Amino acid sequence: MDCGTCDTVSPVQMIKPEVVDVALTISESAKNMLTDAFGDDRSHALLIGVLSGGCSGYMYDLQIVETTDQDCQEIAIDGFRVLVPTASSHLLDGIEIDYVEKLMGGGFKINNPNAESACGCGESFS
Amino acid sequence: MPIVALSDASLTLWRGADVLPFIDGLSTNKVAELSKGQLIRTVFTDSNAKIIDCLTLFHMGDFIVASGYLPALDKLLKHTSKKILGQDVVITDITQRNDLFIEFDCENKTNEISTFSAEGEITRGNIASNYSILVASKGNGPSSSDDFTEFNLWRITNKIPWNGYEITNSFHPFACGLEELVHQQKGCYIGQEILARMRSRGRQGKVLSQVDTLTCKPANITTMGDMQSLAIIRS
Repeated sequence: MDCGTCDTVSPVQMIKPEVVDVALTISESAKNMLTDAFGDDRSHALLIGVLSGGCSGYMYDLQIVETTDQDCQEIAIDGFRVLVPTASSHLLDGIEIDYVEKLMGGGFKINNPNAESACGCGESFS
Repeated sequence: MPIVALSDASLTLWRGADVLPFIDGLSTNKVAELSKGQLIRTVFTDSNAKIIDCLTLFHMGDFIVASGYLPALDKLLKHTSKKILGQDVVITDITQRNDLFIEFDCENKTNEISTFSAEGEITRGNIASNYSILVASKGNGPSSSDDFTEFNLWRITNKIPWNGYEITNSFHPFACGLEELVHQQKGCYIGQEILARMRSRGRQGKVLSQVDTLTCKPANITTMGDMQSLAIIRS
């Protein structure tokens, strides 16, 4: 097999997503939850990423981080730092970060105007 | 054993730390635990659970090599590339550097199935007990036939679906005989909800069948043989 690894073979030209300046909002219930989580320490940030996978192709990836290696846009809302990876910006522009209580426990919920559909469990979108 | 050349096969190299979880998250089989020297087949499906491409993955150690169907390659790359986002996944098309073949009617040992090995210039991947895929650098392959007739007759006898015949975007994996590539215990991927519902309700619609060539409706026949053919028909 000739894997083309011994000399330079150009990678397949991938679809480069458009980079947009992300605007997002945080609901009052989500702000209350973030206040509980962060306290007075605002050195940490909420990182909202998107991974491939799930029934609909994309899954949200929420983390609380101090720093990240990813190339991100940083958005400040009411003193909270929100990081959005540049590579996912086209999928996250216009989202609302909400927090909802469910029978099985509470959790952050992303209301995304870019999502054409979501899977039954709400974990992924397309 | 007879060997047929695959003129319509694609070969791509997938490199990066996120390759296996990336493919695992977008296809039907459980590939995340694949290790060096192993081979696995998996199917990329669309939101209707119809087949985009069926890939044979070779774990080469530092990277994955994937054999698929050349006419489906563009669609596969469009489907996957927009989902890479910030992940460490780089795909290279190495189709033009290699020749691919199928050796069929062979007798692979049980412990050799789903593994591959290098035999001189040829990498031999044992897909099943009775057939293997051979990959060789351009011009260094084994002597082979370009005529698919004998291979197709063998496929009919052994009910083996093939790219462009049964494995097409018109069908989901259950319909064309690829149910063994749909892992029962893996999490979500595109098309999974539909396939899981079909399996749990026992409703798989059409299935791959050996049929009598003369009595089967011609439109249902996917691989035509003399007396027997393969067809995808309601079970």
